Amino acid sequence: MNVLQVNNLKKHFIEKKWWKPGSKPVITKAVDDISFKINEGEIVGLLGPNGAGKTTISQMLLGTLTPTSGEIFYFGKKFTEKTKELLNEVNFSSAYINLPHRIKVIENLDIYAHLYQVKNRKEKIEKLLKEFEVWELRKRKMNQLSAGQKTRILLAKAFINYPRLLILDEPTASLDPDIAIKVRQFLIKQQKEYRVAMLFTSHNMHEVQEICDRIIFLNKGKIIAQDTPRGLIKKLKKAKIKLVVIKGKKILEQYLNKEKVKFYWQKERIVFKTDEEIIPKLLYQLSDQGVRYIEIEILRPSLEDFFLEVVNKEKA
Amino acid sequence: MNIKRINAIIIRHLYNLKYNLDRLSDSFYWPVIDIILWGLTSQYIQTTGGKVSNIALVLLSGLVFWQVVWRGQYEITVNFLEEIWSQNLVNIFATPLTVEEWIISVLFLGVIKMFVTVSLSILLIWLLYTINILNFGFLLIPFFISLLITGWWVGLFVSGILVMLGRQIQTLAWAGVYLLAPFSAIYYPVSSLPNWAQLISRFLPTSYIFEGMRKVLTKGAIPYSNLVISYILNFVYILLGYFFFKWCFKKSREKGLARLE
Repeated sequence: MNVLQVNNLKKHFIEKKWWKPGSKPVITKAVDDISFKINEGEIVGLLGPNGAGKTTISQMLLGTLTPTSGEIFYFGKKFTEKTKELLNEVNFSSAYINLPHRIKVIENLDIYAHLYQVKNRKEKIEKLLKEFEVWELRKRKMNQLSAGQKTRILLAKAFINYPRLLILDEPTASLDPDIAIKVRQFLIKQQKEYRVAMLFTSHNMHEVQEICDRIIFLNKGKIIAQDTPRGLIKKLKKAKIKLVVIKGKKILEQYLNKEKVKFYWQKERIVFKTDEEIIPKLLYQLSDQGVRYIEIEILRPSLEDFFLEVVNKEKA
Repeated sequence: MNIKRINAIIIRHLYNLKYNLDRLSDSFYWPVIDIILWGLTSQYIQTTGGKVSNIALVLLSGLVFWQVVWRGQYEITVNFLEEIWSQNLVNIFATPLTVEEWIISVLFLGVIKMFVTVSLSILLIWLLYTINILNFGFLLIPFFISLLITGWWVGLFVSGILVMLGRQIQTLAWAGVYLLAPFSAIYYPVSSLPNWAQLISRFLPTSYIFEGMRKVLTKGAIPYSNLVISYILNFVYILLGYFFFKWCFKKSREKGLARLE
Protein backbone atom coordinates (compact mmCIF):
# COMPACT_ATOMS: atom_id res chain seq x y z
CA MET A 1 0.00 0.00 0.00
CA ASN A 2 1.21 3.49 -0.84
CA VAL A 3 1.55 5.71 2.19
CA LEU A 4 2.57 8.61 0.01
CA GLN A 5 2.03 9.34 -3.63
CA VAL A 6 3.24 12.52 -5.27
CA ASN A 7 2.04 13.35 -8.76
CA ASN A 8 3.65 16.02 -10.95
CA LEU A 9 4.56 18.23 -8.04
CA LYS A 10 5.87 21.66 -8.93
CA LYS A 11 7.02 24.63 -6.92
CA HIS A 12 7.99 27.69 -8.86
CA PHE A 13 8.92 30.80 -6.92
CA ILE A 14 8.11 33.95 -8.84
CA GLU A 15 9.91 37.08 -7.81
CA LYS A 16 8.69 40.30 -9.31
CA LYS A 17 10.06 43.67 -8.42
CA TRP A 18 6.73 45.48 -8.21
CA TRP A 19 8.51 48.77 -7.56
CA LYS A 20 10.22 48.49 -10.96
CA PRO A 21 7.49 48.74 -13.60
CA GLY A 22 8.22 46.69 -16.69
CA SER A 23 10.73 44.42 -14.95
CA LYS A 24 10.42 40.76 -15.89
CA PRO A 25 9.55 38.32 -13.14
CA VAL A 26 12.34 35.93 -12.10
CA ILE A 27 11.10 32.35 -11.90
CA THR A 28 12.97 29.82 -9.80
CA LYS A 29 11.92 26.24 -10.38
CA ALA A 30 12.67 24.79 -6.96
CA VAL A 31 10.72 21.62 -7.68
CA ASP A 32 9.92 20.85 -11.27
CA ASP A 33 7.34 18.20 -12.06
CA ILE A 34 8.32 15.33 -9.83
CA SER A 35 6.37 12.15 -9.11
CA PHE A 36 7.21 9.38 -6.69
CA LYS A 37 5.65 7.12 -4.11
CA ILE A 38 6.56 5.52 -0.82
CA ASN A 39 5.21 2.15 0.24
CA GLU A 40 4.27 1.11 3.75
CA GLY A 41 7.35 0.42 5.84
CA GLU A 42 9.72 1.71 3.19
CA ILE A 43 12.56 4.13 3.92
CA VAL A 44 13.22 6.38 0.96
CA GLY A 45 16.20 8.68 0.82
CA LEU A 46 15.95 12.06 -0.81
CA LEU A 47 19.40 13.01 -1.98
CA GLY A 48 20.82 15.85 -3.96
CA PRO A 49 23.18 18.80 -3.78
CA ASN A 50 22.25 22.02 -2.00
CA GLY A 51 19.35 23.72 -3.74
CA ALA A 52 18.15 20.48 -5.34
CA GLY A 53 14.68 20.88 -3.83
CA LYS A 54 14.79 18.42 -0.92
CA THR A 55 13.60 20.82 1.79
CA THR A 56 11.04 22.38 -0.57
CA ILE A 57 9.52 18.93 -1.12
CA SER A 58 9.49 18.23 2.64
CA GLN A 59 7.74 21.54 3.31
CA MET A 60 5.10 20.87 0.67
CA LEU A 61 4.49 17.42 2.11
CA LEU A 62 3.92 18.99 5.52
CA GLY A 63 1.54 21.62 4.21
CA THR A 64 3.70 24.57 5.26
CA LEU A 65 4.42 25.42 1.63
CA THR A 66 1.75 25.43 -1.06
CA PRO A 67 2.73 23.69 -4.30
CA THR A 68 2.39 25.58 -7.58
CA SER A 69 0.71 22.50 -9.02
CA GLY A 70 0.56 18.75 -8.59
CA GLU A 71 -1.08 16.40 -6.13
CA ILE A 72 -0.11 14.76 -2.87
CA PHE A 73 -1.91 11.67 -1.58
CA TYR A 74 -1.37 10.14 1.85
CA PHE A 75 -2.74 6.64 2.39
CA GLY A 76 -4.79 7.07 -0.77
CA LYS A 77 -6.44 10.31 0.40
CA LYS A 78 -5.88 13.70 -1.18
CA PHE A 79 -3.84 15.93 1.13
CA THR A 80 -5.63 19.16 0.22
CA GLU A 81 -9.01 17.63 1.03
CA LYS A 82 -8.20 15.84 4.29
CA THR A 83 -5.31 17.92 5.61
CA LYS A 84 -6.16 17.76 9.33
CA GLU A 85 -6.88 14.05 9.33
CA LEU A 86 -3.75 13.19 7.35
CA LEU A 87 -1.35 15.41 9.29
CA ASN A 88 -2.37 13.46 12.38
CA GLU A 89 -0.66 10.41 10.88
CA VAL A 90 2.46 12.16 9.65
CA ASN A 91 5.26 13.78 11.60
CA PHE A 92 8.65 15.21 10.93
CA SER A 93 11.96 16.21 12.35
CA SER A 94 14.61 18.46 10.97
CA ALA A 95 17.97 19.73 12.05
CA TYR A 96 16.81 23.19 11.05
CA ILE A 97 13.83 23.61 13.32
CA ASN A 98 13.48 23.97 17.04
CA LEU A 99 11.07 23.87 19.92
CA PRO A 100 10.27 26.82 22.20
CA HIS A 101 13.53 27.63 23.98
CA ARG A 102 12.21 28.67 27.36
CA ILE A 103 10.00 25.66 27.90
CA LYS A 104 11.10 22.40 29.48
CA VAL A 105 11.60 19.32 27.32
CA ILE A 106 8.72 17.44 28.94
CA GLU A 107 6.40 20.45 28.59
CA ASN A 108 7.29 20.81 24.91
CA LEU A 109 6.48 17.18 24.25
CA ASP A 110 3.25 17.55 26.20
CA ILE A 111 2.22 20.41 23.88
CA TYR A 112 2.77 18.21 20.82
CA ALA A 113 1.03 15.26 22.46
CA HIS A 114 -1.99 17.57 22.88
CA LEU A 115 -1.75 18.84 19.29
CA TYR A 116 -1.76 15.26 17.97
CA GLN A 117 -4.40 14.18 20.53
CA VAL A 118 -2.18 11.39 21.85
CA LYS A 119 -3.72 9.08 24.45
CA ASN A 120 -1.63 8.15 27.53
CA ARG A 121 0.55 11.19 26.99
CA LYS A 122 2.74 10.77 30.06
CA GLU A 123 3.56 7.13 29.33
CA LYS A 124 4.27 7.80 25.68
CA ILE A 125 6.57 10.75 26.45
CA GLU A 126 8.46 8.75 29.08
CA LYS A 127 8.88 5.79 26.72
CA LEU A 128 10.22 7.99 23.91
CA LEU A 129 12.59 9.99 26.10
CA LYS A 130 13.99 6.76 27.49
CA GLU A 131 14.36 5.23 24.04
CA PHE A 132 16.36 8.23 22.87
CA GLU A 133 18.33 8.20 26.14
CA VAL A 134 17.29 11.72 27.13
CA TRP A 135 14.96 10.93 30.03
CA GLU A 136 17.31 12.71 32.43
CA LEU A 137 16.92 15.91 30.37
CA ARG A 138 13.15 16.06 30.74
CA LYS A 139 13.19 18.96 33.23
CA ARG A 140 15.73 21.01 31.32
CA LYS A 141 14.71 23.92 29.13
CA MET A 142 15.41 23.61 25.42
CA ASN A 143 17.95 26.44 25.51
CA GLN A 144 19.99 24.47 28.04
CA LEU A 145 20.55 21.55 25.67
CA SER A 146 23.42 20.78 23.32
CA ALA A 147 22.75 20.49 19.58
CA GLY A 148 22.84 16.70 19.79
CA GLN A 149 20.44 16.60 22.72
CA LYS A 150 18.03 18.92 20.89
CA THR A 151 18.12 16.66 17.85
CA ARG A 152 17.11 13.68 19.99
CA ILE A 153 14.26 15.63 21.59
CA LEU A 154 13.04 16.62 18.12
CA LEU A 155 13.13 12.97 17.10
CA ALA A 156 11.11 12.09 20.19
CA LYS A 157 8.60 14.74 19.09
CA ALA A 158 8.50 13.17 15.63
CA PHE A 159 7.37 9.83 17.09
CA ILE A 160 4.87 11.25 19.57
CA ASN A 161 1.78 10.53 17.44
CA TYR A 162 2.74 7.02 16.24
CA PRO A 163 3.14 8.34 12.68
CA ARG A 164 2.66 6.11 9.68
CA LEU A 165 4.98 8.33 7.69
CA LEU A 166 7.92 10.29 8.98
CA ILE A 167 9.65 13.07 7.10
CA LEU A 168 13.18 13.38 8.38
CA ASP A 169 15.34 16.25 7.18
CA GLU A 170 18.91 15.44 8.22
CA PRO A 171 17.76 13.96 11.51
CA THR A 172 21.19 12.86 12.67
CA ALA A 173 23.05 16.09 11.86
CA SER A 174 25.07 17.25 14.87
CA LEU A 175 24.87 13.87 16.61
CA ASP A 176 27.94 12.06 17.91
CA PRO A 177 28.65 8.92 15.85
CA ASP A 178 27.62 6.55 18.67
CA ILE A 179 24.28 8.33 19.16
CA ALA A 180 23.77 8.54 15.38
CA ILE A 181 24.17 4.77 15.20
CA LYS A 182 21.60 4.32 17.98
CA VAL A 183 19.18 6.67 16.25
CA ARG A 184 19.55 4.75 12.98
CA GLN A 185 18.95 1.50 14.84
CA PHE A 186 15.86 3.01 16.44
CA LEU A 187 14.53 4.14 13.07
CA ILE A 188 15.09 0.71 11.54
CA LYS A 189 13.38 -0.90 14.55
CA GLN A 190 10.34 1.37 14.06
CA GLN A 191 10.27 0.47 10.40
CA LYS A 192 10.36 -3.25 11.12
CA GLU A 193 8.04 -3.35 14.13
CA TYR A 194 5.42 -0.79 13.17
CA ARG A 195 5.89 -0.58 9.39
CA VAL A 196 6.59 3.17 9.69
CA ALA A 197 7.53 4.61 6.31
CA MET A 198 10.15 7.35 6.16
CA LEU A 199 11.30 9.99 3.75
CA PHE A 200 14.86 10.66 4.72
CA THR A 201 17.21 13.43 3.65
CA SER A 202 20.81 13.48 4.74
CA HIS A 203 24.22 14.55 3.58
CA ASN A 204 25.73 11.50 5.22
CA MET A 205 25.97 9.09 2.27
CA HIS A 206 27.04 6.21 4.46
CA GLU A 207 23.93 6.69 6.56
CA VAL A 208 21.65 6.89 3.54
CA GLN A 209 23.23 3.77 2.07
CA GLU A 210 22.74 1.94 5.36
CA ILE A 211 19.19 2.94 6.15
CA CYS A 212 17.35 3.53 2.89
CA ASP A 213 15.57 0.92 0.83
CA ARG A 214 15.40 3.26 -2.12
CA ILE A 215 16.92 6.58 -3.09
CA ILE A 216 15.46 9.42 -5.09
CA PHE A 217 18.22 11.56 -6.46
CA LEU A 218 17.32 15.17 -7.16
CA ASN A 219 19.09 17.91 -9.00
CA LYS A 220 17.73 21.37 -9.77
CA GLY A 221 14.25 20.33 -8.75
CA LYS A 222 14.07 17.25 -10.96
CA ILE A 223 14.44 13.56 -10.21
CA ILE A 224 17.50 12.43 -12.10
CA ALA A 225 17.73 8.89 -10.72
CA GLN A 226 15.62 6.62 -8.58
CA ASP A 227 16.83 3.22 -7.46
CA THR A 228 18.07 1.15 -4.55
CA PRO A 229 21.42 2.36 -3.14
CA ARG A 230 23.09 -0.63 -4.80
CA GLY A 231 21.29 0.09 -8.08
CA LEU A 232 22.49 3.70 -8.10
CA ILE A 233 26.06 2.67 -7.39
CA LYS A 234 25.91 0.12 -10.18
CA LYS A 235 25.23 2.96 -12.59
CA LEU A 236 28.81 4.01 -11.97
CA LYS A 237 31.01 1.55 -13.76
CA LYS A 238 34.33 3.05 -12.83
CA ALA A 239 36.32 1.89 -9.84
CA LYS A 240 39.11 3.83 -8.19
CA ILE A 241 42.55 2.16 -8.24
CA LYS A 242 45.43 3.07 -5.99
CA LEU A 243 48.85 1.60 -6.73
CA VAL A 244 52.13 1.95 -4.84
CA VAL A 245 54.53 1.77 -7.79
CA ILE A 246 58.16 0.83 -7.24
CA LYS A 247 59.24 0.55 -10.89
CA GLY A 248 58.03 2.02 -14.18
CA LYS A 249 56.32 5.19 -12.96
CA LYS A 250 56.91 6.98 -16.29
CA ILE A 251 55.71 3.99 -18.30
CA LEU A 252 52.53 3.94 -16.22
CA GLU A 253 51.93 7.67 -16.69
CA GLN A 254 52.49 7.39 -20.45
CA TYR A 255 50.15 4.43 -20.63
CA LEU A 256 47.39 6.26 -18.72
CA ASN A 257 47.85 9.38 -20.85
CA LYS A 258 47.60 7.27 -23.99
CA GLU A 259 44.40 5.68 -22.72
CA LYS A 260 43.14 9.13 -21.73
CA VAL A 261 42.74 8.12 -18.11
CA LYS A 262 42.98 10.95 -15.59
CA PHE A 263 45.31 10.29 -12.69
CA TYR A 264 46.97 12.02 -9.75
CA TRP A 265 49.67 11.22 -7.26
CA GLN A 266 48.89 10.84 -3.57
CA LYS A 267 52.41 10.74 -2.10
CA GLU A 268 53.80 7.44 -3.44
CA ARG A 269 50.41 6.23 -4.67
CA ILE A 270 49.03 6.82 -8.13
CA VAL A 271 45.27 7.11 -8.19
CA PHE A 272 43.08 6.68 -11.25
CA LYS A 273 39.62 5.53 -12.23
CA THR A 274 38.81 2.86 -14.77
CA ASP A 275 35.98 0.57 -15.81
CA GLU A 276 35.60 -2.29 -13.37
CA GLU A 277 35.44 -4.81 -16.23
CA ILE A 278 38.87 -4.00 -17.65
CA ILE A 279 40.81 -3.99 -14.38
CA PRO A 280 42.30 -7.52 -14.83
CA LYS A 281 43.34 -6.74 -18.42
CA LEU A 282 44.82 -3.40 -17.40
CA LEU A 283 46.89 -4.87 -14.58
CA TYR A 284 48.17 -7.57 -16.89
CA GLN A 285 49.20 -5.01 -19.51
CA LEU A 286 50.98 -2.84 -16.94
CA SER A 287 52.87 -5.82 -15.65
CA ASP A 288 53.74 -6.79 -19.20
CA GLN A 289 55.22 -3.32 -19.80
CA GLY A 290 57.45 -3.59 -16.75
CA VAL A 291 55.44 -1.66 -14.20
CA ARG A 292 55.95 -3.12 -10.71
CA TYR A 293 53.85 -2.29 -7.63
CA ILE A 294 53.88 -3.53 -4.07
CA GLU A 295 50.38 -2.49 -3.01
CA ILE A 296 47.08 -2.32 -4.82
CA GLU A 297 43.77 -0.98 -3.57
CA ILE A 298 40.62 -1.23 -5.66
CA LEU A 299 37.77 0.95 -4.41
CA ARG A 300 34.36 0.10 -5.79
CA PRO A 301 32.12 3.10 -6.43
CA SER A 302 30.03 4.34 -3.53
CA LEU A 303 26.94 6.49 -3.21
CA GLU A 304 29.25 9.41 -2.52
CA ASP A 305 30.89 8.86 -5.92
CA PHE A 306 27.46 8.93 -7.52
CA PHE A 307 26.69 12.17 -5.70
CA LEU A 308 30.00 13.73 -6.72
CA GLU A 309 29.60 12.64 -10.32
CA VAL A 310 26.21 14.34 -10.56
CA VAL A 311 27.50 17.51 -8.94
CA ASN A 312 30.64 17.59 -11.09
CA LYS A 313 28.67 16.98 -14.28
CA GLU A 314 26.48 19.90 -13.36
CA LYS A 315 29.49 22.15 -12.75
CA ALA A 316 31.09 21.08 -16.03
CA MET B 1 41.12 52.62 20.72
CA ASN B 2 40.92 51.81 17.06
CA ILE B 3 38.82 53.94 14.72
CA LYS B 4 38.42 51.09 12.22
CA ARG B 5 36.94 48.77 14.83
CA ILE B 6 34.57 51.51 16.00
CA ASN B 7 33.65 52.10 12.37
CA ALA B 8 33.03 48.36 11.92
CA ILE B 9 30.41 48.36 14.66
CA ILE B 10 28.76 51.50 13.26
CA ILE B 11 28.60 49.93 9.80
CA ARG B 12 27.28 46.68 11.30
CA HIS B 13 24.29 48.49 12.79
CA LEU B 14 23.73 50.63 9.71
CA TYR B 15 23.57 47.47 7.57
CA ASN B 16 21.12 46.05 10.08
CA LEU B 17 19.01 49.21 9.90
CA LYS B 18 18.71 48.79 6.15
CA TYR B 19 17.00 45.40 6.50
CA ASN B 20 15.09 45.89 9.73
CA LEU B 21 12.21 48.23 9.30
CA ASP B 22 11.44 47.98 13.00
CA ARG B 23 14.70 49.70 13.90
CA LEU B 24 13.84 52.50 11.50
CA SER B 25 10.43 52.85 13.06
CA ASP B 26 12.00 53.22 16.49
CA SER B 27 13.68 56.35 15.21
CA PHE B 28 10.59 57.97 13.74
CA TYR B 29 7.42 56.23 14.81
CA TRP B 30 7.47 56.76 18.58
CA PRO B 31 8.44 60.43 18.53
CA VAL B 32 5.68 61.17 16.00
CA ILE B 33 3.03 59.24 17.95
CA ASP B 34 4.07 60.83 21.26
CA ILE B 35 4.10 64.34 19.84
CA ILE B 36 0.64 63.95 18.29
CA LEU B 37 -0.93 62.16 21.25
CA TRP B 38 0.41 64.33 24.04
CA GLY B 39 0.33 67.48 21.95
CA LEU B 40 -3.39 67.06 21.32
CA THR B 41 -4.04 66.15 24.96
CA SER B 42 -2.28 69.23 26.28
CA GLN B 43 -3.91 71.40 23.62
CA TYR B 44 -7.32 70.14 24.75
CA ILE B 45 -6.58 70.85 28.40
CA GLN B 46 -5.30 74.31 27.45
CA THR B 47 -8.40 75.16 25.39
CA THR B 48 -10.64 74.32 28.33
CA GLY B 49 -8.55 76.61 30.44
CA GLY B 50 -7.56 73.67 32.62
CA LYS B 51 -11.16 73.25 33.72
CA VAL B 52 -11.66 69.67 32.63
CA SER B 53 -13.73 68.00 35.30
CA ASN B 54 -12.17 64.94 36.90
CA ILE B 55 -8.98 65.39 34.85
CA ALA B 56 -7.12 62.67 36.77
CA LEU B 57 -10.00 60.25 36.36
CA VAL B 58 -10.25 60.98 32.62
CA LEU B 59 -6.54 60.51 32.01
CA LEU B 60 -6.06 57.48 34.22
CA SER B 61 -9.16 55.68 33.01
CA GLY B 62 -8.09 56.41 29.42
CA LEU B 63 -4.78 54.78 30.25
CA VAL B 64 -6.42 51.70 31.75
CA PHE B 65 -8.94 51.30 28.95
CA TRP B 66 -6.23 51.64 26.32
CA GLN B 67 -4.50 48.72 28.04
CA VAL B 68 -7.50 46.59 27.04
CA VAL B 69 -6.97 47.33 23.34
CA TRP B 70 -3.23 46.97 23.62
CA ARG B 71 -3.39 43.71 25.53
CA GLY B 72 -5.99 42.27 23.16
CA GLN B 73 -3.82 42.81 20.10
CA TYR B 74 -0.51 42.10 21.83
CA GLU B 75 -1.49 38.55 22.72
CA ILE B 76 -2.20 37.71 19.09
CA THR B 77 0.81 39.41 17.56
CA VAL B 78 3.48 38.54 20.12
CA ASN B 79 2.33 34.95 20.42
CA PHE B 80 2.71 34.67 16.68
CA LEU B 81 6.18 36.20 16.86
CA GLU B 82 7.03 33.85 19.73
CA GLU B 83 6.66 30.92 17.30
CA ILE B 84 8.93 32.64 14.78
CA TRP B 85 11.54 33.51 17.41
CA SER B 86 11.69 29.96 18.70
CA GLN B 87 11.75 28.45 15.17
CA ASN B 88 8.58 26.57 16.03
CA LEU B 89 6.23 27.93 13.38
CA VAL B 90 6.73 25.11 10.89
CA ASN B 91 6.52 22.60 13.72
CA ILE B 92 3.12 23.70 14.92
CA PHE B 93 1.55 24.27 11.53
CA ALA B 94 2.76 20.85 10.35
CA THR B 95 0.42 19.37 12.97
CA PRO B 96 -3.35 19.11 12.46
CA LEU B 97 -3.70 22.58 14.05
CA THR B 98 -5.78 24.94 11.91
CA VAL B 99 -5.40 28.70 11.65
CA GLU B 100 -8.81 29.14 13.29
CA GLU B 101 -7.84 26.97 16.25
CA TRP B 102 -4.67 28.98 16.69
CA ILE B 103 -6.64 32.26 16.61
CA ILE B 104 -9.16 31.04 19.21
CA SER B 105 -6.41 29.93 21.59
CA VAL B 106 -4.59 33.26 21.47
CA LEU B 107 -7.84 35.19 21.84
CA PHE B 108 -8.67 33.16 24.93
CA LEU B 109 -5.21 33.84 26.35
CA GLY B 110 -5.70 37.53 25.58
CA VAL B 111 -8.89 37.67 27.67
CA ILE B 112 -7.19 36.11 30.70
CA LYS B 113 -4.11 38.31 30.51
CA MET B 114 -6.18 41.42 29.85
CA PHE B 115 -8.19 40.68 32.97
CA VAL B 116 -4.99 40.41 35.03
CA THR B 117 -3.44 43.58 33.53
CA VAL B 118 -6.56 45.69 33.91
CA SER B 119 -7.23 44.47 37.46
CA LEU B 120 -3.68 45.33 38.44
CA SER B 121 -3.93 48.80 36.85
CA ILE B 122 -7.25 49.54 38.55
CA LEU B 123 -5.86 48.42 41.89
CA LEU B 124 -2.74 50.54 41.44
CA ILE B 125 -4.79 53.62 40.54
CA TRP B 126 -6.95 53.09 43.60
CA LEU B 127 -3.91 52.64 45.87
CA LEU B 128 -1.85 55.51 44.47
CA TYR B 129 -4.50 58.08 43.59
CA THR B 130 -7.56 56.91 45.54
CA ILE B 131 -9.58 56.91 42.35
CA ASN B 132 -11.91 53.96 42.08
CA ILE B 133 -12.73 53.28 38.44
CA LEU B 134 -14.88 50.35 39.56
CA ASN B 135 -17.46 52.76 40.95
CA PHE B 136 -18.83 52.65 37.42
CA GLY B 137 -18.04 48.94 37.08
CA PHE B 138 -21.11 47.41 35.47
CA LEU B 139 -21.74 50.38 33.21
CA LEU B 140 -18.25 50.04 31.79
CA ILE B 141 -18.36 46.29 31.03
CA PRO B 142 -19.96 46.64 27.54
CA PHE B 143 -17.25 49.18 26.68
CA PHE B 144 -14.51 46.88 27.93
CA ILE B 145 -15.82 44.10 25.70
CA SER B 146 -15.97 46.41 22.71
CA LEU B 147 -12.39 47.57 23.37
CA LEU B 148 -11.24 43.97 23.60
CA ILE B 149 -12.79 43.22 20.21
CA THR B 150 -10.93 46.24 18.81
CA GLY B 151 -7.71 44.77 20.19
CA TRP B 152 -8.50 41.48 18.48
CA TRP B 153 -9.05 42.89 15.02
CA VAL B 154 -6.00 45.13 15.29
CA GLY B 155 -4.08 41.99 16.34
CA LEU B 156 -5.38 40.06 13.35
CA PHE B 157 -4.44 42.83 10.91
CA VAL B 158 -0.97 43.22 12.42
CA SER B 159 -0.43 39.45 12.54
CA GLY B 160 -1.43 39.30 8.88
CA ILE B 161 1.37 41.74 8.08
CA LEU B 162 3.77 39.79 10.30
CA VAL B 163 2.96 36.50 8.61
CA MET B 164 3.83 38.10 5.29
CA LEU B 165 6.95 40.04 6.28
CA GLY B 166 8.20 38.26 9.39
CA ARG B 167 10.69 39.66 11.84
CA GLN B 168 11.72 42.64 9.73
CA ILE B 169 8.54 44.40 10.80
CA GLN B 170 8.17 42.83 14.25
CA THR B 171 7.95 46.14 16.08
CA LEU B 172 4.39 46.37 14.76
CA ALA B 173 3.51 43.63 17.24
CA TRP B 174 3.64 46.03 20.15
CA ALA B 175 3.61 49.40 18.40
CA GLY B 176 1.11 48.97 15.55
CA VAL B 177 -1.94 49.66 17.65
CA TYR B 178 -0.58 53.07 18.69
CA LEU B 179 -1.26 54.23 15.17
CA LEU B 180 -4.91 54.34 16.21
CA ALA B 181 -4.23 56.12 19.49
CA PRO B 182 -4.26 59.76 18.31
CA PHE B 183 -7.59 59.21 16.52
CA SER B 184 -9.18 57.22 19.34
CA ALA B 185 -9.86 60.19 21.61
CA ILE B 186 -8.36 58.38 24.57
CA TYR B 187 -7.59 61.50 26.60
CA TYR B 188 -9.49 64.21 24.70
CA PRO B 189 -12.80 64.49 22.80
CA VAL B 190 -13.00 63.91 19.06
CA SER B 191 -14.04 67.54 18.62
CA SER B 192 -10.60 68.71 19.70
CA LEU B 193 -9.01 66.93 16.72
CA PRO B 194 -8.39 68.71 13.39
CA ASN B 195 -11.12 68.09 10.80
CA TRP B 196 -9.20 65.52 8.77
CA ALA B 197 -8.40 63.59 11.95
CA GLN B 198 -12.02 63.75 13.07
CA LEU B 199 -12.99 62.08 9.82
CA ILE B 200 -10.63 59.18 10.52
CA SER B 201 -11.81 58.89 14.11
CA ARG B 202 -15.41 58.51 12.89
CA PHE B 203 -14.40 55.17 11.36
CA LEU B 204 -12.75 53.91 14.53
CA PRO B 205 -14.83 52.14 17.17
CA THR B 206 -12.35 53.28 19.82
CA SER B 207 -13.33 56.93 19.42
CA TYR B 208 -16.97 56.08 20.22
CA ILE B 209 -15.90 53.87 23.11
CA PHE B 210 -13.59 56.38 24.77
CA GLU B 211 -16.07 59.22 24.34
CA GLY B 212 -18.80 56.98 25.71
CA MET B 213 -16.68 55.90 28.64
CA ARG B 214 -15.90 59.47 29.55
CA LYS B 215 -19.63 60.17 29.60
CA VAL B 216 -20.13 57.19 31.91
CA LEU B 217 -17.36 58.43 34.22
CA THR B 218 -18.43 62.04 34.27
CA LYS B 219 -22.22 61.75 33.96
CA GLY B 220 -22.86 58.21 35.16
CA ALA B 221 -25.06 57.28 32.19
CA ILE B 222 -24.45 54.94 29.25
CA PRO B 223 -24.54 56.65 25.83
CA TYR B 224 -26.13 53.75 23.96
CA SER B 225 -25.59 55.21 20.51
CA ASN B 226 -21.79 55.23 21.06
CA LEU B 227 -21.92 51.66 22.24
CA VAL B 228 -24.01 50.42 19.31
CA ILE B 229 -21.86 52.18 16.69
CA SER B 230 -18.68 50.79 18.26
CA TYR B 231 -20.09 47.26 18.16
CA ILE B 232 -21.19 47.60 14.55
CA LEU B 233 -17.78 48.91 13.49
CA ASN B 234 -16.02 46.24 15.53
CA PHE B 235 -18.13 43.52 13.96
CA VAL B 236 -17.19 44.72 10.47
CA TYR B 237 -13.51 45.08 11.31
CA ILE B 238 -13.19 41.76 13.10
CA LEU B 239 -14.61 40.03 10.05
CA LEU B 240 -12.23 41.94 7.80
CA GLY B 241 -9.35 41.21 10.20
CA TYR B 242 -10.11 37.49 10.17
CA PHE B 243 -10.27 37.30 6.39
CA PHE B 244 -7.18 39.48 6.04
CA PHE B 245 -5.18 37.22 8.36
CA LYS B 246 -6.43 34.11 6.55
CA TRP B 247 -5.52 35.61 3.19
CA CYS B 248 -2.06 36.64 4.41
CA PHE B 249 -1.49 33.19 5.89
CA LYS B 250 -2.44 31.59 2.59
CA LYS B 251 -0.11 33.93 0.70
CA SER B 252 2.67 33.26 3.18
CA ARG B 253 2.21 29.51 2.76
CA GLU B 254 2.73 30.02 -0.96
CA LYS B 255 6.16 31.42 -0.15
CA GLY B 256 6.77 28.92 2.65
CA LEU B 257 6.36 29.39 6.39
CA ALA B 258 9.91 28.15 6.92
CA ARG B 259 11.30 31.40 5.49
CA LEU B 260 9.94 33.32 8.47
CA GLU B 261 12.09 31.41 10.98
